[in-house]
Amino acid sequence: MTASFRLDSIVGREVYAANSRRIGRLHEVRAERRGSTWVITEYVIGAAGLMERLGLGVRLVLGFERPTGYVARWDQLDFSNPRRLILTCAVADLRRE
Amino acid sequence: MMDIVRDVLDTSVVDRNGREMGRVDGIVIEQDDGPPRITTLLIGPAALGSRLHPALGRFVTRVEKLLGIDRDRPSRISVRDVEEVDRKIRVRLTVGETTVGAWEQLLRRWIAKLPGSQ
Amino acid sequence: MKKIFNLALGIVTSIGGFVEVGSISTSVQAGAEFGFSLLWAVAAATLFLAALAEMAGRVAAVSKRSMAAAVRERFGFHFQIVPLGAEFIIDTLLLTAELGGAAIAIKMLTGVGFQWWVLPAGFMAWLLLWFGNFSVIEDGVGLLGIVTLSFVLAAWRLHPDAGDIARGFLPSLPHHDITRYAFLAVSIVGATVSPYLLNFYASGAIEEKWTEQDLWINRVTAFLGMGFGSTVAMGCLITAAMVFGPQHLKVDTYEQAAQMFVPVYGRWAVTLFALSLGVGCFGAAVEIALNAGYVLGQALGWTWGIDRKRRDVSRFVAAFSFMLLDGIVIATMGFDPLRVTLISVALTVVIMPLVVLPFLVLMNEEQYVGRHTSGVFGNGLLATLTVLGALMAIVVIPLEIWGS
Repeated sequence: MTASFRLDSIVGREVYAANSRRIGRLHEVRAERRGSTWVITEYVIGAAGLMERLGLGVRLVLGFERPTGYVARWDQLDFSNPRRLILTCAVADLRRE
Repeated sequence: MMDIVRDVLDTSVVDRNGREMGRVDGIVIEQDDGPPRITTLLIGPAALGSRLHPALGRFVTRVEKLLGIDRDRPSRISVRDVEEVDRKIRVRLTVGETTVGAWEQLLRRWIAKLPGSQ
Repeated sequence: MKKIFNLALGIVTSIGGFVEVGSISTSVQAGAEFGFSLLWAVAAATLFLAALAEMAGRVAAVSKRSMAAAVRERFGFHFQIVPLGAEFIIDTLLLTAELGGAAIAIKMLTGVGFQWWVLPAGFMAWLLLWFGNFSVIEDGVGLLGIVTLSFVLAAWRLHPDAGDIARGFLPSLPHHDITRYAFLAVSIVGATVSPYLLNFYASGAIEEKWTEQDLWINRVTAFLGMGFGSTVAMGCLITAAMVFGPQHLKVDTYEQAAQMFVPVYGRWAVTLFALSLGVGCFGAAVEIALNAGYVLGQALGWTWGIDRKRRDVSRFVAAFSFMLLDGIVIATMGFDPLRVTLISVALTVVIMPLVVLPFLVLMNEEQYVGRHTSGVFGNGLLATLTVLGALMAIVVIPLEIWGS
């Protein structure tokens, strides 16, 4: 059964751990071209939302490296409810970036 | 490896002749078992509207229906047809093979009637 | 060399639309109530505008993207909708004020009530946009703007004391009515640094097909062009200061303001003032409407361009046409352009931080400015401007309530 979603409806949403703790916002989706499809490989979850989107420029001016966020593999995020993105693993299992 | 939000969403799309088709206003993901796949890029005000609120998207669709331009809208571009993702997204179709620019064509019918539209 | 000629033309034509209802209103009141002591505000605001314009031009020349396009691509539609929506509200108010100003100018020349002139003025603006192309519009409006040099000439003819003028360029606190002084200072910034000017300037850079080779032209046009324009605003302020200052007159109407030309131009006073006001407002109205087309076309991915066949850019045409229509309808209702101007100027200040913030990011990204990224100085300047913008945004509404 093929489920079909709008990617833009989950971007920017809050991501929660299994225990309902807020982890950050989903602000990037990485995909790989495999043949004629683009396969999603990972999700980048930002520690501070807007600041992350503003990115380098602000960090440059403020002069420090903010702790960024987490990267979840495709199977580590459940977006069956786009309004509430939930990790399918422990926070400790996420890669830090 | 593509950064979809940064490099695909909201980026300009051009056809194989370099003609502007619009911007990627929406992206469709599909999933069976296995990793989710990006299958389609959406172009059009209905797709853009629903990003702000689903009701807005539906409203735009209703307006397009009233104006008779709702067939196959918002325009769907299969990622299979995407040749290159760079500063712009180049697609191997031509504008004419898609439904982008339906509003442009609709308004052109009126604007072309005015003297000096050339 | 052709480029030098075009550069000179670009600087001279910057006059058209620079001095418009906002700068005239604020300069007259500043001069009448506080003499020369707000000249520093005009200078600072102009530098602020020129710096931002140069940056917008840099992005346009290097990445071929206007501000609207760059913000959509870099920050996404969700972010953009906020400043975009705010700019549209402000631009509609400003357009209404410009059309009102142009109509009042025609009324001063003809004696017929100003509401009747809004539609003809607006229609003329539309005709220019429909039939014209970029050079015709830019150069035409710009050259007509030369009449506003009557402010500069008047200031010169009144022989103001050079020392007093120089002191006006040093920020200082006034002896009376600090709230009103602060309000006017902030209003001058809001009147000068109109957000539409930045995207309009960048769009012009794209229409003129500037490339990385033209970055020096961009710098000169931005600073000298805006600088040249600001001399007119300063001339207006100085003239008002010399003529109205001694009585600390509070100028409430444009008819009153026109009287400041009497000592220099005698019976031509009202005519010259009306022409200057009218041409300035008309030019700005054309630019604001055109910019609406630019912004929507660029942000939403339409075909756009004032040099293209109109039928090929139908959505773009519809956009600037509806914008003008909107302005005409609201202006015809008869709101006092002076009041509308002050509101739109205050709102401009409120959203100022949102306008400056994207620059902070774009100026450091190779994708948008290539290797011409902002150095430490540029980033420091932007950060300062963002903070100043935020400070002004916080105080402007209280000041508007207590200072106007």
